[in-house]
Amino acid sequence: MRFAMIGELIRQMFRRPFTNLFPAKYAPSSPSRFVEAVKKGEIKINPPIETPPGFRGKIVYDREKCIGCRLCTKVCPTDAIEYIEEKKTIRIYVNRCTFSALCTDACPVNALSMSNEFLLSTTDKNSRDLIVE
Amino acid sequence: MIEIIDQAFKAVFGAIGIAIFTIIFGLLYKGIDRKLAAHMQARVGPPIRQPFWDVIKLFSKENIVPEQAIGWLFNLAPVIALASSITIMLYLPIGSFGPILSTEGDLILILYLLMIPSLAMVLGGFASSSPYATVGAQREMVLMISYEFPLAIAIISIAWRLNEANVQNPFSLSSIASYPIWNNVGILGILGLLLLLVILVIVTPGELSKIPFDVPEAETEIAGGLLVEYSGRNLGMFYLADAVKTVAMATIIVTLFFPYNLSPILNLSGYVAYITDFLFYLLKVFLVILFSVTLIRVGVARLKIDQVVSTYWITLTLISLVGLVLVMFDKVAISRGWI
Amino acid sequence: MKVSYSIPIGPVHPALKEPVMFEFEIEGERIVNVDFKVGHVHRGIEWIGMHRKNPLQILPIAERICGICNISHPFAFCIAVENAAKIDVPDRAQYIRTIIAELERIHSHILWAGVAAHEIGFDSVLYLTWRVREKVLDLLEYLTGNRITKAMFTIGGVRRDITKEQYPKIREALDFYKKSFEKLKHVFLDDKTVKLRSRDCGILTKEDALKLCAVGPTTRASGVKKDVRVDFPYAAYGDLDIDYITPDILTGEVRGDVYDRIVVRLLEVKQSVEIIEQCLDNMPDGEIMFEPKVAKLLALLKKTSGDGVGRAEAPRGEVIHYVKMREQDTPYTWKVRAPTYNNLMPWIPMLKGEQIADIPIVAASTDPCLSCTNRVAIVKDGRKEIVTHEYLHKLSVEKTRRLIG
Repeated sequence: MRFAMIGELIRQMFRRPFTNLFPAKYAPSSPSRFVEAVKKGEIKINPPIETPPGFRGKIVYDREKCIGCRLCTKVCPTDAIEYIEEKKTIRIYVNRCTFSALCTDACPVNALSMSNEFLLSTTDKNSRDLIVE
Repeated sequence: MIEIIDQAFKAVFGAIGIAIFTIIFGLLYKGIDRKLAAHMQARVGPPIRQPFWDVIKLFSKENIVPEQAIGWLFNLAPVIALASSITIMLYLPIGSFGPILSTEGDLILILYLLMIPSLAMVLGGFASSSPYATVGAQREMVLMISYEFPLAIAIISIAWRLNEANVQNPFSLSSIASYPIWNNVGILGILGLLLLLVILVIVTPGELSKIPFDVPEAETEIAGGLLVEYSGRNLGMFYLADAVKTVAMATIIVTLFFPYNLSPILNLSGYVAYITDFLFYLLKVFLVILFSVTLIRVGVARLKIDQVVSTYWITLTLISLVGLVLVMFDKVAISRGWI
Repeated sequence: MKVSYSIPIGPVHPALKEPVMFEFEIEGERIVNVDFKVGHVHRGIEWIGMHRKNPLQILPIAERICGICNISHPFAFCIAVENAAKIDVPDRAQYIRTIIAELERIHSHILWAGVAAHEIGFDSVLYLTWRVREKVLDLLEYLTGNRITKAMFTIGGVRRDITKEQYPKIREALDFYKKSFEKLKHVFLDDKTVKLRSRDCGILTKEDALKLCAVGPTTRASGVKKDVRVDFPYAAYGDLDIDYITPDILTGEVRGDVYDRIVVRLLEVKQSVEIIEQCLDNMPDGEIMFEPKVAKLLALLKKTSGDGVGRAEAPRGEVIHYVKMREQDTPYTWKVRAPTYNNLMPWIPMLKGEQIADIPIVAASTDPCLSCTNRVAIVKDGRKEIVTHEYLHKLSVEKTRRLIG
């Protein structure tokens, strides 16, 4: 057919759109009050899409298992892991992390793992959420 | 004396009323067009009142005039575009209301008035002192030359046919609206008129600078073309002029080809008749915009300027000439009693 | 006499997806002369890698050279380091590497198809092709953990395995792509307005393609048979049944215009689907890494010395990485030559004589990835000179003499 898209477009008009919808249809004028209302159950939101297993999200650190071998500091590409001499443990700065999971593979006792948390942005550069220790 | 004052009142209030009506409905149709186009592309799209928010935002932003632009022409061009678009609507009947102003040569006047908003955009583009705007303005001039030919043939052939059917004042829109063209022709004429309808539907995206004839404002090629230096209130007025011109072109097509009203069929009278006809008119305009602007806009790619000229001057002119010949032949056939 | 004026396109322009500075001389709408400058996305990535980071740390940095070809850069780097250290990669890892590389090629070509449609004003095809692309991105997220930066490669193998439970999802995605290939072919190659815009537009002749050393689908569309996967097989490509893709497979003739490049890229999507199916059917068992313990791998790399060259076929052409190790834990030299670097010069014969309206589609038809192209520049004493062919030849002759005698 000479104009190949037109039939496809007319058919598409009667089907559901492909977009994954935002939680709310229109941006709320006050986000904190909106979150309160959702927690109380007054407003329904569209649920987020599930992440698959094996998703590389925020790092999770198990301090009990750590033996202080410093192998993770040697493989981190962005120097996001800092070794604390006194306590023989590490501190991970999430705002430098590139989620490469090299530290997870390198650790000999499996003290590090990646969760599926991906909504990590804050407005404060030095917020406590961005430091894992 | 009182008659003149009375006429003057009617003209002034009618003009203000028409201006408000076309602006509101022009923006509403623009919103519906965007929403339908989005659903065709499997998206959700903006809400229908989005163009109103766009205009409000544009009118509240700063109006920047480039240092090397011709200042008075740069600021005058959007005003001329908006004012002339509204003037076209003064001559068109809406539903069962007659046109506010009416002369014997309406159709010729409208052909000229349709050129003025495009000329204003060209002048604004040349006054912008930017190479992109210059290229866009040159392309708009070439586009105007090319679509005038089939448009003129289509409009003149309808008026000629009505004249041959002994209708008074064939160039006046109120008489075209009262004597629908389909009733006065035979089978060959119906074929010719269908061809002319297709021609008008394809000329409409060229008039309004929409894809595939979107060359003066091509976003990916010349970064916005004519309108690249405009911002704030001036851009808001060009936006409104585009919305009003859409309604004007759709109303011209509805008046020439589908001037039927519902109230005689349903035997209504009084205010109910006016309102029913008005709503039916809105529905007709919506259908014309759907087929001539929305569907063509999402379905094809943008053409180059030499391909646009060859499409209008060669392909569409031939089709419209065939339509004209069929309409003329129809009259000969009727008068000789062949059909 | 015609007066010519000059138009700048870029560095920032809606037609370009990445910054490059074009200067055109135009008469009316015809292009008379064209010149361009690159270097606007220079980030100094080689400088970050050389002398400062060990090869395992360089892998995520190599991945971030480009967002669309981010498997081919680590791939070539791994091959270079493995050549230098004489590491033998197990067979199963080679097959998994091939599968991931071909999935990335599908993703890149479909992304390009959408961008090309947007450049000619056909937004509906942009939305349609990017909808199709979501399927491969979801599959990559399922297999590797992230949609774009996949972090699958390591020196001596791959980091994650593709298990038998994951096969049904891969096969479902491949079936989806076989069906959508027909739809995309119908939309792109049969539509009249796309043909009007792309046929006989931006022609690159075979002689020009050979003279300017173009690589990738740009040169295959002009009829030159050049493909690293067939000429110098690496990974699992030696066992597979592949051939060069040129436009006469579908249309029967080679014209070297934009339409032919669309044809070559769509056919390569089909070829990638077939390659993945062959790999899944013939997957050997075994290990996935040469050395699973990271400490031993780093110690091994610290003892290597020598240099290695790694070549891979990115979606845009041939990418070369050169690594020189000198018994330290960081490499002494790391040089990247991206495929777009070769495809820059063919823009000039393609654009001369065309209209302004052709600039976006012709520039986009070589699929430029300028993030890959901007690499380290060492400025010594602030000198600036143009190096000629004879001077380079003299330097290479002297080096050969040094190496031999």
